[in-house]
Amino acid sequence: MVDLARVQKELHECNRDVQVSGINVTLKGDSLTHLIGTIPGPIGTPYEGGTFKIDITLTDGYPFEPPKMKFATKVWHPNISSQSGAICLDILKDQWSPALTLKTALLSIQALLSAPEPDDPQDAVVAQQYLRDHQTFVGTARYWTETFAKTSTLAADEKIQKLVEMGFPEAQVRSTLEATGWDENMALEKLLSS
Amino acid sequence: MASESESAAAAQASSFMENLMNSRNRDLSLFLPFILAFTNNSISSASVQDSSNPDQETGESTTPSEFSDRIILVNPLTQGMVVIESRSSSSFDSLLSELMSKEGQPPASKASIEALPSVEICEEGQKGECAICLDEWEIGGVVKEMPCKHRFHGDCVEKWLKIHGSCPICRYKMPEEDGDLNNKSENRGRRREIWMSFSVGNDRRRSAENHNNQTVSANSSSENEHDHAPEA
Ligand SMILES: [Zn+2]
Ligand SMILES: [Zn+2]
Repeated sequence: MVDLARVQKELHECNRDVQVSGINVTLKGDSLTHLIGTIPGPIGTPYEGGTFKIDITLTDGYPFEPPKMKFATKVWHPNISSQSGAICLDILKDQWSPALTLKTALLSIQALLSAPEPDDPQDAVVAQQYLRDHQTFVGTARYWTETFAKTSTLAADEKIQKLVEMGFPEAQVRSTLEATGWDENMALEKLLSS
Repeated sequence: MASESESAAAAQASSFMENLMNSRNRDLSLFLPFILAFTNNSISSASVQDSSNPDQETGESTTPSEFSDRIILVNPLTQGMVVIESRSSSSFDSLLSELMSKEGQPPASKASIEALPSVEICEEGQKGECAICLDEWEIGGVVKEMPCKHRFHGDCVEKWLKIHGSCPICRYKMPEEDGDLNNKSENRGRRREIWMSFSVGNDRRRSAENHNNQTVSANSSSENEHDHAPEA
């Protein structure tokens, strides 16, 4: 049986500091065992500017078993399957600990985006490219970020425009929206308080 | 007996695969589609092996204490094959246990779980929470303290230590049950020959699970699809 009390606490905790971490967890439906996490692509990587959705399923053993996590957003990365979104990360497997949380797991995935481990690949094709033709890798990863990880470009543009019209500088609007997982209300709050 | 050892070996094989896949060890990382075979042949079952492996086994049957252990990696695309062979079981076992350790810490021994001291949360200064259930400590509540001084609810930490014998916070290793060693030596007496293949990338996990169905004969000596218990 999933420890629902713990999951609820985690959601509360995580969403309290979403503005700092940029990490967001929401319910997928009305059950606490299917969740969607969002992580902003780390700055200075080909994933910068993207918002990546992670599909989260909690098994009955949670938190004694790791949460099942995979990318719902397509991403080009040596340790993430470009087909299925499966993630090769030890803490989601044998190195899981019940002291880890959905938030810390998502932070680890974000760290994985910053620091690929091509020697322990999930996607061999991507890993080969990463090692042998790094420039092409960066280009492809960036293209995939542009294509798949920018919240439907039109909607994103609309959000930016709305906030720019309120008098905020576009660069700041963009980065704030990215940091808040493209939640315009949250971004507005942040912009007003900064 | 046969089916029991088969499933045991299959479980072992899949965890072996799991370990290979999870391994952060550069040398064991596998990029390409490989067929992996892992054999642990003991001479006590030489009669079984003869039919499948005539070249290898002749001339070895005089030294019953010796084991011929092999890991065979086959790349089906190039037909290339790498054989890692060991004459001494100890070095092979250490390689194997190194791999196995990637599976996560084994459960803590019953005795060590029972021996964890109970401490009472008495002072205001001891604010904090159980990192497992995320409940805050109640003043006057009794919790378990691990040797690393990390504290958890008794129920919470016992449940975890029965799965993995390490501190959830700092990974301090608890003593393991001794029983595992006995299992290992029992395995020595029988033969395992496990052939597996797995595809690249996205479906590695699934193909590892299906390895029994996907058994591939990469050369003439691989006709045995499953492992065999000794005839004795
Ligand atoms: Zn607890
Ligand atoms: Zn500890």
